Amino acid sequence: MTSPSKITVLIDLSGTIHVEDKEIEGSISALEKLRKSKINFKFVTNTTKESKRILLQRLTSIGFSIGENEIFTSLTAAHDTLKARELRPFLLIDNKALEDFVDLHKENPNCVVVGLAPDKFSYKCMNEAFKLLLTGAPLIAVHKSRYYKTKAGLALGPGPFISGLEYSSGIKAEIIGKPSAEFFKSAVKEFKSEPKDCYMVGDDVRDDIGGSQAIGMKGLLVRSGKYRPGDENKIDPPPYNVVNNFSEAVEIILTDLIAPSL
Amino acid sequence: MTLWTQKPINGVLLDITGVLYESGNGGGNAINGSISAVLELNKLGIPVRFCTNETQCTRRKLVKKLHELGFSMEESHVFPPIPAMCKILKKRGLRPHTLVSSAAMEDFSEIDCSNPNCVVVGDATTELSYDNLNRAFQMLIAMENPILFSLGKGKYYKDAGELCLDVGCYMKALEYACDIEAEVVGKPSSNFFNAALEDMGVDASETVMIGDDVVNDVGGAQTCGMRGVLVRTGKFRPQDEQHSQVTPDGIVDNLAQAVKLIIESKN
Repeated sequence: MTSPSKITVLIDLSGTIHVEDKEIEGSISALEKLRKSKINFKFVTNTTKESKRILLQRLTSIGFSIGENEIFTSLTAAHDTLKARELRPFLLIDNKALEDFVDLHKENPNCVVVGLAPDKFSYKCMNEAFKLLLTGAPLIAVHKSRYYKTKAGLALGPGPFISGLEYSSGIKAEIIGKPSAEFFKSAVKEFKSEPKDCYMVGDDVRDDIGGSQAIGMKGLLVRSGKYRPGDENKIDPPPYNVVNNFSEAVEIILTDLIAPSL
Repeated sequence: MTLWTQKPINGVLLDITGVLYESGNGGGNAINGSISAVLELNKLGIPVRFCTNETQCTRRKLVKKLHELGFSMEESHVFPPIPAMCKILKKRGLRPHTLVSSAAMEDFSEIDCSNPNCVVVGDATTELSYDNLNRAFQMLIAMENPILFSLGKGKYYKDAGELCLDVGCYMKALEYACDIEAEVVGKPSSNFFNAALEDMGVDASETVMIGDDVVNDVGGAQTCGMRGVLVRTGKFRPQDEQHSQVTPDGIVDNLAQAVKLIIESKN
């Protein structure tokens, strides 16, 4: 049996353990089971529609008990990048997430930061971002997801808007969140687990599974959230495993612990 | 004598915005020398057609605006993407969900838009909101074989002295979201240029296309077998002269200079 402390599980939030204000059935108890096993875990999210504080409130009200330091968001990673490079951002970021950027200078901006911000993706704001890019400002993508799941169905993520800005300006975006290798590495750093001892559980076959597997982690694709039949065939190599939901993913991880499959 | 005028020129295709006039508040302004340049071509007896990706108003309104600016041309000699789009929709029995400028919708009046089985995206401004783009996305993603048409694929255009996002940005957005490739109606599609060539009855090898978009006007025309000439007006930027994929057959300051060179080649 492998020692649980060597293993780290990265877990996506939206579409994997919840959709908006609703738990994906069995996720709360599966998380408690994982916690009891002494396996390391961290939530890694490209959710950029709300600040970490609001996100935590939402998860707590659903019934999850998760600590602030157990969540690693692409917003935090983006903020740290901007700060380290002393950039002044023009933010296409949802108002509910702006508090994560309060300490940065924003006057006379010299870079464009794009997250999931339906209210900011008007032609006018997009055009303002475009004009800044024409001056040579870098384009920083909090993440580049194509779409996400809402109660009303699938909805456009920031990826399409980033892709459009890239095309029109000729500037390639730097991607901060999943599937960037740097993001996954930063998320597991504190646990000192080898990539082969890390799992990533998520509903996005490219950003969660493809991205983590590219650096040697094991991707567990859940058939919840934005999953659509056939998604598992979109990446090569295919996901380590495909399961119905988060609680099935936890079962597989615990089984691997007793009898390592590789 | 410049190289591009050495072979016979028996037809000319002209881009409109950025070649004939600069768009801007109150309808914009004719570019210096362009009004008489078009007249000179007519005097020479060289057929001229106008190939534009303009979809922010109807063809009738566009021609009316050009007449008001001082240009003379027949409406049937102006080729915007929407009439070409309508022909394709009818031929293939498609019913579009349109994400285009409301000012241009009249040109879709004879098209059945109920129960859509394809999406058409065109150049617009306020219409290109998150909600409208999301609606188009949701329709595409629900189709078994999503069909997306884009009325041109320009990266940007110039309006009131500033570069602004063109339809290409939104075409790419929907392509990326749905993992599909759009069919482009308008420049640089060869079918689009060919319709104008057929109307003139002139072979591509004897035709010159003059435009301010190095990729869609110049490159598109060259792919079609025409010569492509770039003007330094409209959306032109100095780096366009060293474009990585397109080498124009000629580069001129403006339409007037291009026409002057054509006249000289005839003498």
